Formats: sequence, C-alpha cells, structure tokens
Amino acid sequence: MPQQELDKAVSGEYALGFEIDIEQDTVPPGLDENTIKFISAKKDEPKWMLELRLKAFEKWKKMTEPSWGHLEYEPIDYQSISYFSAPKQAPDSLDEVDPKILEAYKKLGIPLEEQKQLQGIAVDAVIDSVSVKTTYSEELEKHGVIFCSISDAIRDYPELVKKYMYSVVPVTDNFFAALNSAVFTDGTFVYIPKGVRCPMELSTYFRINALNTGQFERTIVIADEGSYVSYNEGCSAPTRDDNQLHAAVVELIALKDAEIKYSTIQNWYPGDENGKGGIYNFVTKRGICEENAKISWTQVETGSAITWKYPSCILKGDNSVGEFYSVAVTTLAQQADTGTKMIHIGKNTKSTIISKGISAMKGQNTYRGLVKMGAGAEGARNYSECDSLLIGDRCGAHTFPYLESKDSLGQVEHEATTSKISDEQLFYLRQRGINEEDAVSMIVHGFCKDVFKMLPMEYAVEAKALLNLTLEGSVG
Amino acid sequence: MSNMMEIKDLQAKIGDKKILNGLNLTLEKGKVHAIMGPNGAGKSTLSKAIVGHYDIEVLGGEILYRGENIVDKEPEERALDGIFLSFQHPVEVAGVNNAYFLRTAVNAKRRHEGKDELNAAEFLREMKKQVETLGMKPDMISRSLNEGFSGGEKKRNEILQMQMLQPDMIVLDEIDSGLDIDALRAVSEGINSMKDGERSFLVITHYSRILDYIKPDYIHVLKDGKIVHTGGPELVAQLEEEGYESLGEA
Amino acid sequence: MKLSDLKQRTASEILAAFGRDGAAAKSAETLEKMGLPSKKTEAYRYGDIEAVLEMDLTIASEPKPAEILPSVQLIITDGVVTHAPASVKLGYSKAIPADQGHFDPLYHLGHVASPGVWEIEIQDEVYLHIIHRFTKPTSLIPYRLAVHVTPGSHAAVYEQFIDTGATGSLVLYGYDLFVGRDATLKMVKNQTLDSGSYQMVASHRCEVGSAATLDLATFDFGSASALQMMQIALGAHAHVEASHLLYASGSAKRGTVSKILHIGEGSTSNQQAKSILGEKARGIFDALIKVEHSARYTKAHQNSKAILLESGAYMASRPQLEIYIDELEASHGSTTGQLDGKQLFYLQSRGISAVEAKRMLIQAFANELIDAVDGEMIREILHRDFDEAFYGQTRVECIETCHGCEEVVLNEGV
Repeated sequence: MPQQELDKAVSGEYALGFEIDIEQDTVPPGLDENTIKFISAKKDEPKWMLELRLKAFEKWKKMTEPSWGHLEYEPIDYQSISYFSAPKQAPDSLDEVDPKILEAYKKLGIPLEEQKQLQGIAVDAVIDSVSVKTTYSEELEKHGVIFCSISDAIRDYPELVKKYMYSVVPVTDNFFAALNSAVFTDGTFVYIPKGVRCPMELSTYFRINALNTGQFERTIVIADEGSYVSYNEGCSAPTRDDNQLHAAVVELIALKDAEIKYSTIQNWYPGDENGKGGIYNFVTKRGICEENAKISWTQVETGSAITWKYPSCILKGDNSVGEFYSVAVTTLAQQADTGTKMIHIGKNTKSTIISKGISAMKGQNTYRGLVKMGAGAEGARNYSECDSLLIGDRCGAHTFPYLESKDSLGQVEHEATTSKISDEQLFYLRQRGINEEDAVSMIVHGFCKDVFKMLPMEYAVEAKALLNLTLEGSVG
Repeated sequence: MSNMMEIKDLQAKIGDKKILNGLNLTLEKGKVHAIMGPNGAGKSTLSKAIVGHYDIEVLGGEILYRGENIVDKEPEERALDGIFLSFQHPVEVAGVNNAYFLRTAVNAKRRHEGKDELNAAEFLREMKKQVETLGMKPDMISRSLNEGFSGGEKKRNEILQMQMLQPDMIVLDEIDSGLDIDALRAVSEGINSMKDGERSFLVITHYSRILDYIKPDYIHVLKDGKIVHTGGPELVAQLEEEGYESLGEA
Repeated sequence: MKLSDLKQRTASEILAAFGRDGAAAKSAETLEKMGLPSKKTEAYRYGDIEAVLEMDLTIASEPKPAEILPSVQLIITDGVVTHAPASVKLGYSKAIPADQGHFDPLYHLGHVASPGVWEIEIQDEVYLHIIHRFTKPTSLIPYRLAVHVTPGSHAAVYEQFIDTGATGSLVLYGYDLFVGRDATLKMVKNQTLDSGSYQMVASHRCEVGSAATLDLATFDFGSASALQMMQIALGAHAHVEASHLLYASGSAKRGTVSKILHIGEGSTSNQQAKSILGEKARGIFDALIKVEHSARYTKAHQNSKAILLESGAYMASRPQLEIYIDELEASHGSTTGQLDGKQLFYLQSRGISAVEAKRMLIQAFANELIDAVDGEMIREILHRDFDEAFYGQTRVECIETCHGCEEVVLNEGV
C-alpha cells in the first residue's frame, strides 16, 4: 500500500476538537500554597482535606519528574498552568445545567439526559475542574450505592474518603500522583455496599475545555465485600496548539469476593502531525484486591500527545485476580508508554495481560509492564500477550516487560510479536472486493478483538467507532 | 461476444524473474478451461496476473476481460467486476469474523451493482444455507477468517465465498491440493453447481484428478510461460500417459 | 582502591587513577558522561553492582612479558597473555577505537583501566582455545581483547576460565569482536564460578559484518555473582545466534544483559536463554533487540525459559523489543516456572524416583543448549561441568569419556 494512502487512512481528524462557549471561572496560572488554599476554599472543603493537600504539595516540591518513559517532550512548566477552572454557574439539578453544556455533551455523544438514561447508565460529567452533573444518583441510592463527585464525597462521606483516599496510591507514589494529591479538583466517588451488584453501568465523562488548564481528577471506587460494579470513563478536549496537562489518580479497592470492572476510552486531543498541541496524559491508576476479589482494567487509548499510564493490580488476597486489556493507538506524532503492573502477593493469585499496540505515521508505542511474584505468592499464575502492529515505516513499536518471579510454584508466561499488516491478508480481502481502507480497518479490528470483547456492549461500539475515526479518516 | 477473457501476449515477472513469456489464451463464456503444466511453468503466476497480485509486474501484453483491458485495475475493482480467485493457500486473518468479512464483501459487490445491501439477518440466512450444502461445520460462520481451519475447511470456505459472491469469471488455483476424497467431492459439487452456461471457469492444476470431477471443455498446456498446446478433454488421457514432454509446440 | 572512588570524577582524574595517558581519553570522557553504574542504572537493575564498586582492591598491573611462549592454547594469566599458538596473529596496542555508544559504563571503564588491548587476528580454519587464568587475590584485574576474524573465514573460539587463588578479586574483562564480511565465528564460553572465588563483569562488543555470522553460546554455572554485558551490532544480512545456559546456586546474581542492534538490511537474530536457579540464586536475562529504521526485512526472535528449583530462587526476565521499521518479523517469549508436573508424573509412574525424575528433566532442559554446540569434546566438557555444578560431583560416565582436563592441557602447552 503506498505510503501516502496509508497516511491518509490513518490520520483521522479529531472530531471532538470544538470548544464549549461557556462562562468560566478560572484562576490565573501558577502553583503555590495559595493556589491550593484557593482550590480548597472554592470547594468548601473541611480543614483536614486542605492539610492533606498542603502536605502533598510539600512532598511534591522535593520530587523530580520521572524520565524513564520512552517519551520525548518539552519540559512542562508547572507555573504556566491554571489549576482551577469551572463553569460559572454550579447547577443543582439537571434543569439548571447550562444548556450549552448539555449541548456540548450531546455533541460528544454523551447526552446527560435521555439517551444514557434510557440505556440505564448513570453518568457523572466533569468539565475542567468540577463535576457538572451526576445522573441517576437517587435510583442508585435505593441500593445503597454512592455515586457522586469526589467533592461531594469529601463533604458527605468523610470517613470513607479518609479511610481509602491515598490507601492504594500514596501521596508520594510518584511525581504526578503527588501533584494530583495537592491540586486535584474533582473526580468521581463510588461505593458499592456489601453484597450489592450495582444495578447499572456507572460512567464518568471528562472534558478539558478551558485554555491553559490542567485537569487533575481523582477517582475512588470501593467495592465492599461480595459486591460488583462496572465503571466506565471517557474523555475529550478541544483542539489547541498548546499542550495541556492531565494528571489523574484512580484508586480501586476490591474487598473480599468483590469485583470491579473498570473501562476507559481515552480520546484526549492528540495534537497534530508535527507534534504541536495535544494533551499530556500522566495518569496513575491502581487497584488492590483482597481475598477472592477481581479487578479488570480495560483501556482503549487513542488520544493524547503523550500517554504515561500503567493501570495496576496489587493482588494481596489469596486467589485474587487481576486483568489488563489494552488497545493503544499512536498515530500522527503521538507517543504512548503504557502497560500495567501485576503484583502477586497472595497465594494462587492470577493475572492476565493482553496488550495490543498499533503504531502509524510517526507514532511511538511502548508497552511497559511489570509482573512481580513474591516468594509468598505460591501457585501464582500470569499470562501476558503483547502484540504490536506497525502501519508505515516511520513509526515505532516497543515492548519492555519486566518479569520478576520468586515463586518456585508459580508460572509467568509472556509472549510478544511485532508485525505489519501482511500484504497477503490485505490482498485476500481486496480480491473479495473490499477496498483497501476497509480491509485495513477490518484487519486492525481483528487485531484488537480480544480487548474489545472485554468492554461493555455500549462502549465496545463506541470504541470501534473511535478506532475507525482515529485510523481511517474517510471511513469513520 | 462469446469470449469472457482474452489474454494477449502477456509478459510478467516476479522479482527479477520473468515467468510469463508472451502468453496467449482465450476463455469462452460458459466454458470450463483447464490449465495444466509442470511445476514452475507459470500456472500460479497466470492466476495472480489475472487478479492483480502485488507480486506480479506485468511487462507487456493485455488481459481483456469482457473486452476491457484490466492490467492496470486495482484488485478490488477486478473483484467487483466479477473476477474471483480461489487461492491455493488462503491466508488466515485473526480476529476477523468469517460472516462479517463475507457480508462486507457481498455488500461491496451489491453496492457496485446498484443493489440494496443485505442486512445481517438476510445475509446469515443465505450463508447458513450454503454452509449446510457444502457440508461445513456451522461454527465456521462465527470463527475467524480461515484461522485454524484445516486444508479442506479452507478450500470449502473458498467455495462458500464463491457461491455468495456469484462471480462471472472463476479462477481455481490448485483447488484439489490437500483435499481428501470427500472434501474433493463436496468442493467439486459446489463448483459444478455454479455452471450456468454464462460463467467461465479457469481450473489451474498440476494433477488431472480434479478433472474427473469438473469436466473441462478445453485443456491448455502451459510450459515455460506460454501456452504450448490446446485441445479437448481427450488431452487429459494423453498427458497422463505420456507426460508434458510429449507435447511440443502448439 | 574502590571503584566507587571514581564517582563524580573527571575524565583526566579517572585516567590518572589507572596511570593511563591520552590513548584512552575518549573512553574516559564517555565514562565521565555516563557516570559509574548504580542500582538505578537500567542495565544493572538486577545485578548487585553497588557492592561490586565497594570491593577494596589492589590494581593488578603486569607489564607485557618479554617473550610469549608457544602453546596449543592462548593463555591469559591475570590479564596478560603468556602463551599463544602460532595460528593466530597477536598484537598489543595501547588502545583501540572503542564503541563510544556502548550502553555499559563498565565497558568504557574496562577500556580505561586495562593497561592495553591484546589484538588477536583469526584467519580461516582457526580453532582458538583461550584459557583465562586468575591467580591474584583481592585484585582488580582489568584487561581487554580485540578479536578480528578476517573476512570470509570460518573460525571457532572456545573460552575457559580457571581460578587458582584469585579469591576476592574483581575481573573486568571484555572483548571487542569484529567478524569480517562473509566470515563465520563460532564462540563458546564456559565459566564455572563459585562463591569464594573472583567476581566478574565481562563487557563485550561485537560487530558482525555484512553477511557474516556470529554463533555465540555461553555457559555459566556456579554460586558466585557475575554478569556478562554485550552489545552486538549487525550489518546487512548478518546473523547472530546467541544462546545462554545458566545454572546459578547459592546467592549468586548471575546473568546476561545484552543489546542486539539490527542496523543492516535483512539482518537476523535468534537469542535463547535457559536458566536454572537453585537456592537463593538470582538469574538475569535482560535483553533488548533494537531494529533500526535502516534494518528492513529483519528477523528477530528471542526466548527465555527459567526454572525455579526452590523457593528463594529468583528470575528477572526482561526480553525487550524496540522497533522502528514495519518491514520485519519480531517476537519474543518468556516463561518462568517449574518442571512440568505431567512429565514428572510420567517418569515416576515408570518407577523413577521423584528426585531422579527431576534431575532427568533438568538435564534434558540444559542438554538442549549443550548439545547444540559443535565439537564432541567441548560438549563432553560442558556436560561434565554442568553436572559438577549441578550435582556437586562428576558423574562416573563423564570421567570415563573425559578427554582431558584443563590443567593437563595447560601443562602440555608449556
């Protein structure tokens, strides 16, 4: 396939690059103690929260930005970022939500009202620094499920927040987690009580809108003993020439016999072909599994100029299970360094890693994953499969597993392949009358199938459409 | 016009090696033509040239399909115009559902012909019917395209695609290789059911066995990149007995 | 001295510490830029390099001997060539142009610390047996070879290591190997190293020329820590076949850190590691295959298999692919586990004791790499050395078939 055609086929226009024209309340750029006090005051936080933030800020100042990722980018100036931006009117009910926001979410395919409600999905929508609307809360309350913004949770459920926030990702875990701990603005809080199977899909939609603003959300999902929840997040941002920083932290707690399914469709603005603009996505996601618990991460990463993200599982309890399913696409000049960590501590713990990387144009795609089996993790099992697909000769695909086992009764298995779309496959499909673009799309979808099938149905459709959009421009 | 395809003075190479050296061949409408020849004669190259395979570079000559030279056409254009190749070694494509693939192909052709596309239910009904007729396992519908298929299953899948796509010019490249007697019979029945007096068939084979099942109207002997001899079905017996050497220049 | 004394030093200070002049200046500058390795250095992530840098050592420096005696083998004692066969051309240079892009800081340190470089030219049909002997206790023994395999030739090298009193020493050995165009070199390294002996960090660089082949098999047995670091660059249509068998016991931290760089078109590589880890030993396989944009039609495959015999044993496996071109075929695999339960049961059901069945399977696991080596005599020696390391004794059948021990060979030579 000639290079030009391939490039055309893989440089899909970013469709969500519009800006929402709403009145914003934004602090000037810069970060010091006063910024943090301002954020805390804006959110009406209790004193203990402010103290935790300030402590985190002190620690962050002493830390250095990690440089081990297979990533190249201009240094981030943390003083040029605005750390708080909110739509001016804070709505109390859906009727009060600025119609422009509703409009915007509709444009994003995330109608807060009709559609998702019909599908029975509860949505929390976060624009820049604040949660603008959470739907379905009342319905969920009947089951004792808490689904609200983290700001509300700090106010309404301080004991739960104090107990679990920082428990999986400590303040000093890494540079970006520390920054988030100091300046996080909003995010989602989920608690599923003992034995409850959450009656609907929970979903948060994140949108960076304001100029020069960083987004630092913090999400906590707690599944109490024997409960189940499926949680999904999506994200987008307007097309801008400057880079914007997104540094989120997600903590999952799966108590005994609980199960959390966490799916992400990440479609932040990727920047242009020359690497101008786009979101810097530095995210820390980690979950802990108690006995017999299960955490399953599924991610479809198509956006962002830079992605640095390793959704991980600490398999602490015996017989607990961790899963990581990932499709990461880098095209244009995108760079992704993503993977997972599976830390086996409990006996007979199991983990599965399926990673599919697709690189096109000048994209650089790195899988980096750690599987660690402690000596006490008797009979632990891991299976990893990391495949890379290269489209064109200017991109890169890299596979860096770290497989460390002290478990003489355990088994760690890793396989990886790197290949391009085979001429033979492409020709076969074309001989049957399928045009080149459709044939490429078909093969790429086939390549990603094992991951897509792990997504909830509604999101699988969205993910496929997004992949087409990202990779196929004219097909989408 | 009674000719489906006319190949005139076709010269083609693969890599640096010239394989077809001025090949002339006329395929009549509604007829079965068999190409026989020793290994390395250029049989597969001919089939690849007809469908526009990327390995082949055409150096000269013409391939007239219904009077139009198709040498510069894209492979999918030729396919949509009704040329079908049953591959000697069908490739495996992981993760691509067999039914989804075939529906995409069938609908591409229907669009091309100005017909309405088939919806999933209509298509599946048709596909199931054909799968049954061919004696294929029902799970072939939902499995990945050719992935993990046995040799016989792959060939049956080629015939299934042929029946669903309803092409006009069918090229069968070593369709009998790797088939046991039952599979050979099922595949041949599938092919014979396509004969309607309009369609043309080009059966490329090294062995005469397949010709007991698919009766040819013409036999062409291919040697050193040229057709050296053309005759009727009686030629099969002669070739069996005397080998390719016995047939000199046409 | 301690190597850690060289931390934060300038190039000229490092040169002075080893009494070197400007010949090694480039390497010293590179070392200054890179700094000494620490546990945060990617390549030394799993080795205990900081303890190595803290070893208190005397620099062993012997002048080049006035006369090099003829011998069947090339014998290097404490870094100095004392005997050499007539079949190789031997030279001695103050320095050679080192690879300033080598990933390993200790490669550059080796070039600075070694008083000179022994240059060896190997021609067609040469079979070179190198014996490395170490005699000095608590010494830093730095030395380097530059091995040139002349274009078009087919040659073999067998490396053997003998300790006669080098307790507590640190050997910084390494070669710069140049396999000329169309040449083939088969290289076997056999090193048993037990605790109470010396430690070694060997840092190599291999340049495999156009259409040349390097067949490298390394065998590391024993309870002492040691690392082999290698950077292998492949020209057009060059091929490397690398296999590494490791049996480590005690509290050894032992293994291979390698980078195979595909630079030329159509270059191919195949790397296989097998590790058997007993007691508290740590096995390391940290191997990168990098395919440059220029290396179209590359084929690269990598595989690591490890068996942990006891709880406390530890395997760190890092097969890595870094790829910048789409026209290629690359894959890797890694498994860490234990012996196959089904196979064990099968043997036991035929009346073989559990202990013996285990041994048989481990033997079979190791044999795959040993039996792939050319030359019956070397295979015998490898079998014997593995058995000795693994069982702590030589099996009877091995003694019967043994074709000679290194001491005997050595005496003959002299």
